[in-house]
Amino acid sequence: MRKKIQTVFLNVPVILISITSIFPIFWMMYNSLKSESEFVMDKLALPNKINFENYVEAIRIGKMQNYFINSFFNSMVTVIAVILFSFFIAYFISRYEFKGKRIIYYLFLFGMLVPVHSLLIPIFIQFSRLGLINNRFTLLFPYVAFGMPLAIFLFDSFIKTVPIEVEEAAIIDGCGTFSRIMRIVFPLCLPVVSSVVVLSFLGAWNEFPFALTLLTSSEFKTIPIGLANFSGQYSTQYTPLMAGLVIATLPVIIIYIIFNKQIVKGMTAGAVKG
Amino acid sequence: MAQISINKPKRRELLLYIGPGFLIYAFVVLLPIIFSLRYSFLEWSGGKNAKFIGLNNYIELMNDKDFWWALKNNLFIIVVCVIGQIGIAFLLATAMNSKLLKLNRLHRTLLFLPVVLSAVVIGFLWTIMYNKDAGLINLFLKVIGHPEWIKAWLDDPGIVLTSVSIPLIWQYMGLYLVIFLAAYQGIPKDVFEVAEIDGASGLKKMWYITLPLIMDTFKVALMLCIAGNMKVFDHIFIMTNGGPGNASTVVAQFAYNNSFIKFKLGYGSAISIAIMIVSLILIVLSRKVGGKNHA
Repeated sequence: MRKKIQTVFLNVPVILISITSIFPIFWMMYNSLKSESEFVMDKLALPNKINFENYVEAIRIGKMQNYFINSFFNSMVTVIAVILFSFFIAYFISRYEFKGKRIIYYLFLFGMLVPVHSLLIPIFIQFSRLGLINNRFTLLFPYVAFGMPLAIFLFDSFIKTVPIEVEEAAIIDGCGTFSRIMRIVFPLCLPVVSSVVVLSFLGAWNEFPFALTLLTSSEFKTIPIGLANFSGQYSTQYTPLMAGLVIATLPVIIIYIIFNKQIVKGMTAGAVKG
Repeated sequence: MAQISINKPKRRELLLYIGPGFLIYAFVVLLPIIFSLRYSFLEWSGGKNAKFIGLNNYIELMNDKDFWWALKNNLFIIVVCVIGQIGIAFLLATAMNSKLLKLNRLHRTLLFLPVVLSAVVIGFLWTIMYNKDAGLINLFLKVIGHPEWIKAWLDDPGIVLTSVSIPLIWQYMGLYLVIFLAAYQGIPKDVFEVAEIDGASGLKKMWYITLPLIMDTFKVALMLCIAGNMKVFDHIFIMTNGGPGNASTVVAQFAYNNSFIKFKLGYGSAISIAIMIVSLILIVLSRKVGGKNHA
């Protein structure tokens, strides 16, 4: 009996908190499928019939498809660059001894601590002087640079666990550095590579302040900025904005459902180190 | 075997593999820090005329009421979020560590989901949630029979800071939850068993066994929470843009307004340096909390 009461007292609050966590997102999703008048009538009910009007509006007026493509481009290139650069750096840091190694490592770790917002202004000044503002590749610089510290840290700690003997055999076979890294070490690190892929994708996809300050032409703007512009056009209507929010969120949720283990692992490891 | 030394890289190889990544990083992170130090001694609005004014920007900053106000707002949000994010996450992790809790994995998946969403989306979602007509919050208060609790959540300067903190707690408690869960997993099971045999139960177990064992994790969580909330910007930019007035202006917003709205780039750089220093001080302080433990 006592155990039963304990079970209830333990489970009910946790269930309530879980619902609180998830319901607003769910609410936004199903309301994006209602017409505005249906939403005004009843904010809580499920839609009577599925209605894609808001999505049409988000695409026609909000141009969400352009922003979507820009975000996708930025995120994909960021992922590839972060993986390549960070893996090489982490490999050399964990396998070799050389001068300045510790300094380089700590400079990268420092990047996990430095508040991004304190760099907005100097980066803006530097980029405008060099004419780097406002082109298709502008955002890649900060995204790649700020993606590297966590990636290097995760790779470095993983490579240390890969036995060096597998590489020695490869050296005897006359394998060069590049193919040794790419053909032998990299495949062994795939579990952590997937964490880095997902985290750097999400980082670039969700990023806001750099996109806000380094771009002025809407041609290259990304989804978060697109949402801000779109919402400005509707001060009292909410369902089109919700459709926009869902467009921005759905890829993230899909990635989360597929990779949630890797995301949690990467984030806790990075956090606990930071 | 010892002959095969992959211990000494050739210089050329080192440059080839480390060079490109390090250059980008230096260009985007390290160089701007150095330059912002220089700019912080200038009076400059972006054009050709930059005047060297020594420490004047810093002196102005120290006397700028708006800066202290924004910093105070950050500190308020930090305190609320330390209690909200870390506190709730710790209780949840403790509950989830018990065998009596069902659906463990599902809870974890649901609670962590908001963490991966974009801050901008969260900002908009909560703007709608707080809206007086469209929002869930007021609707909920009506449903539970307390319409008199309805407030102008984002428009009342007296409560706006709390209102903008709640989405932050809501979004990030899942992060601290998985951090605590990972720490719990590191505690050997027999520690609890022995404690149970000795008759320790519930709260006692938590206070005397769990808490000391995960003290280091607490410190890490505290540091993360402080660092994270010193940077808070996106959510508030979307929800209130620092308003009403400057009631919810945080230091990042203050820096943004000065640099990108008023175009005081020299002053903005001084603010940036100040934010960096304050954040690092807070991080170091939070590491010292609790004393001798080796984190």
